Amino acid sequence: MKDILRRHHVLKEEIVELINKQIKMEAHSSSAYLAMAAWCDVRGYDNSAEFFFKQSDEERVHQLKFFHYLTDMECDAVSPGTDMPQHEFPTLRSVFEKALEMEIAVTDSIHNMVKVCREHGDIATEEFLRWFVQEQIEEEFVARRTLELFDVLGEDKIGLGLLEQQVLSVQYDGGNA
Amino acid sequence: MITATSTEHLVYKTRNASLSQSDSTNSYILRFFNDELEFRACEFISFKRKIQQLDLPQLLSTEAPDVEVLYLPHCDRLMVLSIHEILELREVLAGAFTMLELNSVIHREIVRKV
Repeated sequence: MKDILRRHHVLKEEIVELINKQIKMEAHSSSAYLAMAAWCDVRGYDNSAEFFFKQSDEERVHQLKFFHYLTDMECDAVSPGTDMPQHEFPTLRSVFEKALEMEIAVTDSIHNMVKVCREHGDIATEEFLRWFVQEQIEEEFVARRTLELFDVLGEDKIGLGLLEQQVLSVQYDGGNA
Repeated sequence: MITATSTEHLVYKTRNASLSQSDSTNSYILRFFNDELEFRACEFISFKRKIQQLDLPQLLSTEAPDVEVLYLPHCDRLMVLSIHEILELREVLAGAFTMLELNSVIHREIVRKV
């Protein structure tokens, strides 16, 4: 008897389900960053808006990476509907706080996926996830450093103006500093 | 009507349902009461997921209808399932997937190693 199941369904169901959940999470993040960008844009924080537009695009890229991985493995990739993201924020700082919280949640989720892959002996998916583990180090670093700018520069008009100047230049150097 | 051939293997059987694999067409054949449905692998996995996701407690509540209507897009058919039928489908699918995974283990550990 042929092993048809293995030929056409490479990943275990638990892994497929996890990746589909991650696709939804990335889609929600992309949508949430777009809402943050809109909040910043209409209040004149142009560079912060650009920062979040860029983040939104990146989350969409992450979503598609997971999506293509599932389709390449001949598994069901589910195009997600997303919940309405938060559109109202009290301050610019609270926007960046929310951004860091989202990145931490994504990191936790990716790490959990790696653990489940190890439990199932799914070496291919674990290897695929390696890029995301590294990416989250960078994403969290940038979100954290940007938030720290509020402490360093203050939150009066001058401080926020300086933050606007610096927000697009915050980068992770890959631990080479 | 799909006829049983030497390339068709019975994978798992319950009282009113059976699941076979056809090596010639690379497909799965579900016989359920007097019905017969053929699935490709991805459709079969999707079908199993749909059956698993049916909300039985909801069906048992008095205000809800006691049947579930399931659409099968790959063959453009509707299945109308009672609670008993859903339970039997779950049983045959669970048993079949266990056997299919066992077959995968045999291929991995014995057939492909030769």
